[in-house]
Amino acid sequence: MKRSKSVYLFLAPALVMVVVFLLFPMVYTLSVSFTRWDGLSPPKFNGLENYIDLFRSRAFLVSLKNTFIWVIFTLLLPVGLGLLIAWGVSNIKLAGLFKAVFYIPLTLSAVTTGLIWVWMYGPQLGVLNNLFRALHLDFLAHSWLTEVPLNTYSMIFAWTWRTTGSNMIMFLIGLQALPKEPIEASQLDGFSKWQTFIYVMLPMLRSMTTVVVAMALINSFNIFDIIYVMTSGGPYRSSETLAVTMYRESFVLFHMGYGAAVAVVLSIMVLLVSAFYVREMTKREITY
Amino acid sequence: MRFNKYFLYALLIIFNLVWILPIWPTILVACKTNIDFTRQAFWQLPTRMAFWENAVEAWTTAQLGIYFINSLLYGLAGSLGAILFSSLAGFALARLRLKGSYWWFLLIWSGTIFPFQMYVIPLFKFYNMWGLYDTRIGMILFYMAICIPFCVFIFRNYFITISFPIQEAATLDGCSSFGIYWRIFMPQAKPAIAVLILFQFTWIWNDLLFGMILTRSPLARPIMVGLARLQGFRAGTGTNVPALMAGAVLGSLPTILLFVGLLRYFIEGLRLSGAGE
Repeated sequence: MKRSKSVYLFLAPALVMVVVFLLFPMVYTLSVSFTRWDGLSPPKFNGLENYIDLFRSRAFLVSLKNTFIWVIFTLLLPVGLGLLIAWGVSNIKLAGLFKAVFYIPLTLSAVTTGLIWVWMYGPQLGVLNNLFRALHLDFLAHSWLTEVPLNTYSMIFAWTWRTTGSNMIMFLIGLQALPKEPIEASQLDGFSKWQTFIYVMLPMLRSMTTVVVAMALINSFNIFDIIYVMTSGGPYRSSETLAVTMYRESFVLFHMGYGAAVAVVLSIMVLLVSAFYVREMTKREITY
Repeated sequence: MRFNKYFLYALLIIFNLVWILPIWPTILVACKTNIDFTRQAFWQLPTRMAFWENAVEAWTTAQLGIYFINSLLYGLAGSLGAILFSSLAGFALARLRLKGSYWWFLLIWSGTIFPFQMYVIPLFKFYNMWGLYDTRIGMILFYMAICIPFCVFIFRNYFITISFPIQEAATLDGCSSFGIYWRIFMPQAKPAIAVLILFQFTWIWNDLLFGMILTRSPLARPIMVGLARLQGFRAGTGTNVPALMAGAVLGSLPTILLFVGLLRYFIEGLRLSGAGE
């Protein structure tokens, strides 16, 4: 009797913190999204008006498009490269040396990464343009962060630089855990290393790939810091993603109801992706 | 076949060069005077070592020093607090007979799913109402809360793997639930704790969004907000890039040191969070 009550004492501190600081605000944001609110005067209920306005607003549609560009390219670049590099590194000598280089950006924050790459991309004194000029490749010099749509891709590259290393580590963990027999058998059957990788190792790597892809997807929907530091979504709101649009609408323009609606749309997209992740997780729970 | 091998090496070397490219000039620039910075090419060595002046400029004039200490406090208090609360909850969820424990777990874990944008408007409003806005205690409480779901996830999965007979023997010997948690489970969880300190400290240290929304004055502002604002930090005509880069180097030191010291745990952490084992 005493035991069963004390169990809740163990659970309570964590539960209370999560409910007060995370779950309650989440529900509150949902309710704010159905109101018109400047953050000061009392909010006025306006039904679905914010959501209708969203899809009529050019800034929102540009932001939505950019968000999808980010999502697609973070799957192609940091995840795809991470996988290829992990496979490449696992096939050669001196792997530790090659791997270590990809660890470096993992120690830096997104803000620091942004600051470094703002300077790399600088039009006058920036590293890239000066490098291209020194190599007599002047036509490659660009105003990387103000030309549209180049600015979004420039930032995606900076993000790739920062995150490829952690995907590489995840895939290396996955590759190490693969059973040796099928791989050796396929090589005895005359498969090249590359064929073995595509036809034998990739299918066995599926569960790790699912996890890495899902985490990269969720993270890419939420990217905020690096864009805020590098372009703040500019010029003229051309490089915003939903996370940045939400911040700008709520805390720069004080359209809190509208900002909340952006947050809800973003959440719905993240939830759809998470559903796959949760399913994969619960599947594993059962096979325990 | 041999060609393939050389091709692979060449490709990896190119990637490595691209990955190193931003690092070396960043360190060089942090060591240059403003004059060297504007007159020299980025690959040239500085005429005199100016890292110290740049660092002092960033540390005092731009007040990075205060932000640094704030973030150190948030990182330590936030991650340790979250680990204490989460290990208690993880222990209850994994080892104490609790009705519907899986649902309680899902409720806490759901705090990791939603984008941070879902939290910021109410937090801003209620922090103002509760007097937590722009205070250190407010920041610590929030950072604790946001770290808890992931920590609970790790502790629950970790505690499940510890064998039952130990717990039963301790119960028979008259050990209380708290005693079992503190004397038997926590000492065995040391690797998980190291992983979580590394991950959560780094997360808190690197946070920009909540620092921007929940603080205003230097007394509470965390380091990343300070660094992001340094970009608009003027000296003469434009941003003082050498001071900015010196600041960026200083601001990255704690995470670099943690990472180098705990690399083994970092990889273990990715395994735990990814494989859900």
